[in-house]
Amino acid sequence: MSAIEVRDVWKRYRRPHQQVSSLKEAVFSFLRGQSGYEEFWALKDISFSVEAGEAIGLVGPNGSGKSTLLGLMARVLKPTQGSIGVEGRVCPLLELGTGFHLELTGRENVFLNASLLGLTNRETARRYPDIVDFAELGDVMDAPVKTYSTGMVIRLGFSVAVHLDPDVLLIDEVLGVGDEHFQHKSFGRLMDFKREGRTIFVVSHNLEAVRKICDRAIWLDRGRMVKDTDSEEVVTKYRAAVAAWERSLEETRAGDARPG
Amino acid sequence: MSELVEVLRYREVLWNLVRRNLKVRYKNSVLGFAWSLLNPLLQIGVWWFLFKVILPGRGEANFMAILVTGFLPWLFFSQTILDSTACVSQEMAIIKKAYFPRTVLPISVLLSNLIHLGFAFIVLLVLFAIWRVDVNAHYLLVIPATVLLALFAYGLSAMLAAWSAFYADVKFIVSNLLGVWFFLVPVLYPLYVALGADRPAGNWLETLIHHALPVIKQLYMLDPVTVAIVAYRSALLHGGANPVVHSESPWLADQYPLWPYVVGAAVISVAVAIIGQMIYQRKADLFAEQG
Ligand SMILES: Nc1ncnc2c1ncn2[C@@H]1O[C@H](COP(=O)(O)OP(=O)(O)OP(=O)(O)O)[C@@H](O)[C@H]1O
Ligand SMILES: [Mg+2]
Repeated sequence: MSAIEVRDVWKRYRRPHQQVSSLKEAVFSFLRGQSGYEEFWALKDISFSVEAGEAIGLVGPNGSGKSTLLGLMARVLKPTQGSIGVEGRVCPLLELGTGFHLELTGRENVFLNASLLGLTNRETARRYPDIVDFAELGDVMDAPVKTYSTGMVIRLGFSVAVHLDPDVLLIDEVLGVGDEHFQHKSFGRLMDFKREGRTIFVVSHNLEAVRKICDRAIWLDRGRMVKDTDSEEVVTKYRAAVAAWERSLEETRAGDARPG
Repeated sequence: MSELVEVLRYREVLWNLVRRNLKVRYKNSVLGFAWSLLNPLLQIGVWWFLFKVILPGRGEANFMAILVTGFLPWLFFSQTILDSTACVSQEMAIIKKAYFPRTVLPISVLLSNLIHLGFAFIVLLVLFAIWRVDVNAHYLLVIPATVLLALFAYGLSAMLAAWSAFYADVKFIVSNLLGVWFFLVPVLYPLYVALGADRPAGNWLETLIHHALPVIKQLYMLDPVTVAIVAYRSALLHGGANPVVHSESPWLADQYPLWPYVVGAAVISVAVAIIGQMIYQRKADLFAEQG
């Protein structure tokens, strides 16, 4: 029984040619016979499966489809083709700052978020002290989230996610934002999770963190899976590829600079 | 249908959103509630000034009670529609955060506004008490009228919520159309003003209007909002020992056979609710990819 099953997944985005956000523009581009869209495949033919209790890293350059893949697993996005199955309670911690209403207080956000992830308000109330405690935000919970710093928002989001008893934790690029102390703390928490047999999926550009937390890593490039093996090997190969690419850039630049 | 079951599974989210909406509108308890009444009261104050001071002699003893009664369903309807055009963009944060049945959003708008309507109703009853109108069994007619109006409002809301997620100007178009629609429902005038309208045939334009009028009147009566307003008046304004208006009052629709129109409006409301929901569900998968 695998915790996550991703089979033959393709994801297409439609990007508007220009920003078609008014009806007038939509009507005009329709009259001109343009579809108004450019199709873009953000993920191409992705398949893998994850056993319960695995910790998996997702690496790759900007725009390679990592957040898209996480969004699909969180069921926020729908695959264009293929199927995705995730077992148990999924707690997504998707990109920076998402999930919180800036106008609402920290407390209101905690309850709203927890209910989104399947908790009743009563259950949330029971865990609330622990959530605030872990985030170390006791004195600002009744202030609107727009008054928080970036790190404070991330702390709260992380704290909510890990207190919801998730079976699968999806983390997108939020590990590096907390301060030194909170990074230690969240790292420790993820390690606990691993020991408890929960599944963790981490997107990060911090390859050291990926190497330390994850046993296995998936490398994406322009929507395709380049590699899917143990994290040590993926990180080494990915680093080598980036280094090689930078060298080639350096050489072409040197070549251009040469007179003649 | 399965979507509705799913919404029930996520009722805690729904409830949290509704509570949030109410809190935003009734910020800080008592004063907040007063603020939320300020706008409709101001509106009614203007009418009072217009009809009682500038254009007096419009008869009716309890003219204000009549206006307020018809205004209540309109306020509910227009506010629901208006709120729906913002509900998707407002909740983008949680749409991108996690899965939940997206239908929760328009339903939360509808429920919040039904609760506002309930509060407004209490205020109306207080006013009636001051005006010494007694409560009676006719009031129950308000319930089916509200159900009908709520279905209609929901269908339009769902459609508009879906479109407004992709086109920013839907919101402005809707608020302008509502300004026009207000005069197409009998809030400020009794039904007979609309239904009794007649233009003799004359030059081609007058002849055209002469022949079109019966059709226009039928269309007018198919508007569920009109039917709801008329039903509210019939429910609240007569009956009991001390009715607001005497039963031959032109403000009541008794001289017109209302039931066929109630049936027509009910059919339209249900159809609009179903179509609206279908449109919404088709678009909802793409919300998270927007902006
Ligand atoms: N809502 C959207 N509409 C259109 N295109 C999109 C949308 N979201 C992402 N894309 C495109 O899909 C591709 C993959 O994006 P994605 O956010 O998954 O990348 P990523 O690997 O997470 O990058 P990063 O490391 O910068 O976070 C990008 O080329 C991006 O432009
Ligand atoms: Mg990303």
